[in-house]
Amino acid sequence: MLDKNAIGRASPPTLNEVEKGAIRRFAEAIGDYNPIYYDEEYARASGYPTIVAPPTFPASFHSAADLRELLGVGIKSLLHAEQGFDYERPIFAGDRIYVSTRVSDVFERPNMSGKMDIAVIEDEGRDEEGNLVFRARRTLVVRAAKENV
Amino acid sequence: MPARKLYFESIRVGDELPALAKAPVDRVQLSRYAGASGDYNPVHVDELYAKSVGMPSVYAPGMLVMGMLGQLISDWARGGQLRRYNVRFIKMVWPGDTVVCKGRVSDRHGSGGRYFVEIDLWAENQKGELVMKGGSQIQLFYSLEDENRQRSGQSPIVVEVPRESLVVPAPQTATPEAASSAPSVPSAPEEEDDEDEDSDEPRTGASSKKTAPREKPAAKTASLPVAKKAKK
Repeated sequence: MLDKNAIGRASPPTLNEVEKGAIRRFAEAIGDYNPIYYDEEYARASGYPTIVAPPTFPASFHSAADLRELLGVGIKSLLHAEQGFDYERPIFAGDRIYVSTRVSDVFERPNMSGKMDIAVIEDEGRDEEGNLVFRARRTLVVRAAKENV
Repeated sequence: MPARKLYFESIRVGDELPALAKAPVDRVQLSRYAGASGDYNPVHVDELYAKSVGMPSVYAPGMLVMGMLGQLISDWARGGQLRRYNVRFIKMVWPGDTVVCKGRVSDRHGSGGRYFVEIDLWAENQKGELVMKGGSQIQLFYSLEDENRQRSGQSPIVVEVPRESLVVPAPQTATPEAASSAPSVPSAPEEEDDEDEDSDEPRTGASSKKTAPREKPAAKTASLPVAKKAKK
């Protein structure tokens, strides 16, 4: 059973600078060759101010979060069960986005061999003016280590 | 030239997105995704490690497969703005697997000059097994004319389109968010709106396109609370 006190624990915002090369490599790794991710002129002709990031690009952002610290346990394994994004606007090359991570919920869910621990982790990205850009929500099945690492 | 854009007026509930068959996943792609995402979890890139924890081999991170399904959305919804995208990971994707991404329009609605389509999404492997399932909400311009109006600083075309999933025979059904965002009256909707009154209009809401938006005075009590009670 994960510690309920972890709910609400958060990491301080960390700056992520969105670079064109990073967008290109991310889109290439997915095998998505939509020119809005590569070609500035094409992106502009499509109605965007510049190169756009693919929908799951926030997965590449880093935050200061250490899940062991946030959840207060040693972690043997994590299974990614669900993922969701809410977008206030698209993410563009040149954006400077501050990402913070917070434990949104921990609970137990019954499974075939008893119960499993679930943690819901939320990332929030804001621009330099403090405007919300996106929220991301991960649902993780956590197997805690017997002893803290 | 950029591809043709997608507009709300041409979408129907039940429309299928053209299926997207991705190239088979291989270990090079897993390395590239690890590098691009910064997720170096060894179960995705280190064969020996993966076997040491009981896996037959490395496997694809869920987020890579979510990225593939995201491509299906962006390819289809050109010109649209993704508002929400969520998935549930169901089955692992292994090197050699081919992911096929599919989707279908489950709902469409518009209020106050903002138009949304809801999509059911899923991904299958080469055996037809479900590996991921999810949904998405996309915001679109009503039409090319609506886009041109808004890009030139004019007010949007306002058509009240109730959620099709909530449309019931009862004639007085209100849209759920009706009262909160009162639609603004377009400055001069009649003038520029001449030739698209032909047969391919949406089934819902389209009849009000040319007329002034129907105001729904204090409609917020109408349908939703009732519907909730009815469930019990």
